[in-house]
Amino acid sequence: MDPNQPSIPANSDIGTQRDTHKDFKEHSVAEFFKKNKHMLGFSGKTRSLTTIIHEYVTNSLDACDEHGILPNIKVEIIEIGEEKYRIVVSDNGPGMPKNIIGKALGKMLAGTKFHRYMQQRGQQGIGATGCTMYAQITTGQPFHVLSAHNGKMLSCDIKVNLKTNEPDMVIIGEQEASYHGLTVEAEFGDVKFDKSSYGVLEYLKKTAIANPHAQIELVAPGNEYYKFSRSIEIAPKKPKEVKPHPLGISVYDLQAMAHSSKEPKLSGFLVDSFSRFSPQKISELKEIIDVDFSKSPKELSWEDSEKLVKAIQKLKWIAPPLDSVIPIGKDQIEKSMKNILDPEFINVVERDIKIYSGGIPFAVEVGIGFGGKINEQKGEIYRYANRTPLMFDASGCAIANAIKEIEWKRYNIDMETDPAVIFVNISSVHIPYVGAGKQAISDIEEVQQEIKNAIMEAARGIKISLGRKRKVGDMEKKKTALLRYISRLSEDLANLAETGSKDDIQKKLTKIIETKYMTNMVGEEEAKPESSGAGEGEENGGEKEE
Amino acid sequence: MAEKKKSESAGRRSEDQQALDRLKGLGKGMVTEVDGGSTPTFETPLRGKSNILFDTDGYLKLGDKTETRKFMNLGQARTFMQTISVANKLKQFIREDLHTSIRGLYYQLKFSLGDDLDESLFEEQSESNVLVEDLEVALGAKREDFHLTTDRKGVLAGNIKLVDKFGGEEVTIDGTKQGRSGWMIPSDVDNGMEIESLNANYVLVVEKDALWQRLNEDRFWQKEKAILITPKGQSSRGTRRMIRKLADRGLPIYVFTDCDAWGWYIYWTLKTGSMNLAYLGKEFSIPNSRFIGVTMSDIERYTTTKCFRELCLV
Repeated sequence: MDPNQPSIPANSDIGTQRDTHKDFKEHSVAEFFKKNKHMLGFSGKTRSLTTIIHEYVTNSLDACDEHGILPNIKVEIIEIGEEKYRIVVSDNGPGMPKNIIGKALGKMLAGTKFHRYMQQRGQQGIGATGCTMYAQITTGQPFHVLSAHNGKMLSCDIKVNLKTNEPDMVIIGEQEASYHGLTVEAEFGDVKFDKSSYGVLEYLKKTAIANPHAQIELVAPGNEYYKFSRSIEIAPKKPKEVKPHPLGISVYDLQAMAHSSKEPKLSGFLVDSFSRFSPQKISELKEIIDVDFSKSPKELSWEDSEKLVKAIQKLKWIAPPLDSVIPIGKDQIEKSMKNILDPEFINVVERDIKIYSGGIPFAVEVGIGFGGKINEQKGEIYRYANRTPLMFDASGCAIANAIKEIEWKRYNIDMETDPAVIFVNISSVHIPYVGAGKQAISDIEEVQQEIKNAIMEAARGIKISLGRKRKVGDMEKKKTALLRYISRLSEDLANLAETGSKDDIQKKLTKIIETKYMTNMVGEEEAKPESSGAGEGEENGGEKEE
Repeated sequence: MAEKKKSESAGRRSEDQQALDRLKGLGKGMVTEVDGGSTPTFETPLRGKSNILFDTDGYLKLGDKTETRKFMNLGQARTFMQTISVANKLKQFIREDLHTSIRGLYYQLKFSLGDDLDESLFEEQSESNVLVEDLEVALGAKREDFHLTTDRKGVLAGNIKLVDKFGGEEVTIDGTKQGRSGWMIPSDVDNGMEIESLNANYVLVVEKDALWQRLNEDRFWQKEKAILITPKGQSSRGTRRMIRKLADRGLPIYVFTDCDAWGWYIYWTLKTGSMNLAYLGKEFSIPNSRFIGVTMSDIERYTTTKCFRELCLV
């Protein structure tokens, strides 16, 4: 299944394969990952590169947002060989303290996000280390990190010990620094840069649209430079830290969380890690499933994890707080679509927070851009979960399903031929993803219906704009058509009546025509229901950067 | 068109002056509208089926429904402009005392609207033909009054003398001295044409030219004191007006056609007018005209008679 699997570099200092066979118990998460990297987005050369960039950009954005910094992110991709690239991603974020860097980038499931649940872009804590590992197994080279944090600049190399899931960190230097930020640099093999719709450029463009407060630059191979400038100067509201709600957890996440838990007992892990999970709930669960709650969470099997998730769905839970959901905001989306896509018409719809699976709050935002600088002669779908573009696995996604279900004819939009972009963002602490790849939204009925409603609402606005444009165009055409006849008419009329002069009649006719069609056009403008966002949309950005 | 200008109004026929006044009045009304800051309008009776009546007078005529066209209505703007162009052109014909056909009119108006415009005033003759009708209806005149000639087709012989003022000359036409071809009835028998003398008891209209020639050779019109006319099938406008003028002089009109649908249609058009020319029904129809010839019932009734059988063998 995975063509890369047998190719462990000879110079790698990790344990040999025989070692891992010898001691099955030490089979680390890192080892597991190495064998199953396709699950995490490392399948296909273009996709692998996008995944790598995604992991770092996402981390940068999350770090900046958490500290109220307006992000400046620069991505450099330098071709150094056949399907081999050096990648440098730098940000102006807070940087990382020395004691965390190793774990964050060299230990699986040890990210800052894993034990703290909040609405953030990345949620699995596996990505950055996954990249470190990918660099390692494809080029054998360590990761180079420059972290400017709290007045110190640290330079180090990091590798993952695939056997023990512990980072190997070599400090190269440390010095005073008057700035903050993080730069990661690594070489990757078995990846490919191209400008396809799955590629890095497209990914960054989409990211920039959903993150109007970020500036994103790309230096692509061949020294091609792209810049997506900031559309707004306000950092988004800081996400609220909440424990995960039991109803929002997947079998995979539950197992992964359990395995990284330090609690001695499974029951303790559940009560401690989830909101609304009381000992009372443990006893309720005990009544309906046969799982040993006293054993270590590290031993939670896939089967038991599955049983637990199913049983959890059967119990009654207090819903998580609604304010954990932070949408991008109507005004913000409108500005960034204008800035980056520059369509002729934009209509953005921000829907109220809704509930799925009996208790998980989520919000859907849809923006439709039409015409203008969008010159792709076909409807395009930009899918997002918590501002993160979903680049792959579109076919099974609730967003794609919803779009397919809509009768576009009713909105005068032809998805086969019209230059339209449908932007859909779902915000929630628990995005109902399909699988661990997290590239598609599961087709839960409430979610898919809400997405569909939101898109239809946005499409109605576009339909009105299109209709108005056609009308105004018609007006202009009518005026021109009439004006071309008046010279002839005036001359004949003057001759026929034997009164008045041609010029006089022509002047008066012109005035009559212009008055008539001017009046109508002004009337059209006044009847405009609005759509150019008078900024009445709720203010989302709380604090400005200092 | 030749430079043949006559001194204004001097020697102009009163019919011409009337037509000129109507055209000029049309233009004046529109200029007044434009001066008042509103779109020029053109009101014309509807000529569609819904506005055609057949009433007790015995002929087809137009009802009271009218349509008002506005230049500012885009769907009507081009037609509006064309109508005024046609009206202006017709005025010019009358003033210069020149005649042309509707095809001639079309060619004189088929030019570009401007160097920068990819559009001609007229693209096809069908466009200008209907406008001539519009003006006829709207101004209560015939195209002949506007110096438009139509096809000549009918032929006449009989004891009638006409004075034809045409091309600046006066010619007397004697219906008894037209030889084997007869007098070809012109398209216009109203303007500049007068009956000087008439000595006949009735008018016989025969559908077929062949029959007319037969009867002419026999000097039927002399023996019967009749005016012998053939429209050569369906009647032209001029022929219909000629027959109508004779009817107005009190002569009975007998129409001899084949006993078939086409023959009856020819008879009925003469008698009641047609849908197409319903707007001229009053001047063109001859409700008192009578059919003469064999009918369907005659065949049943007379087949046994020797005379009839001999006739049928002819």
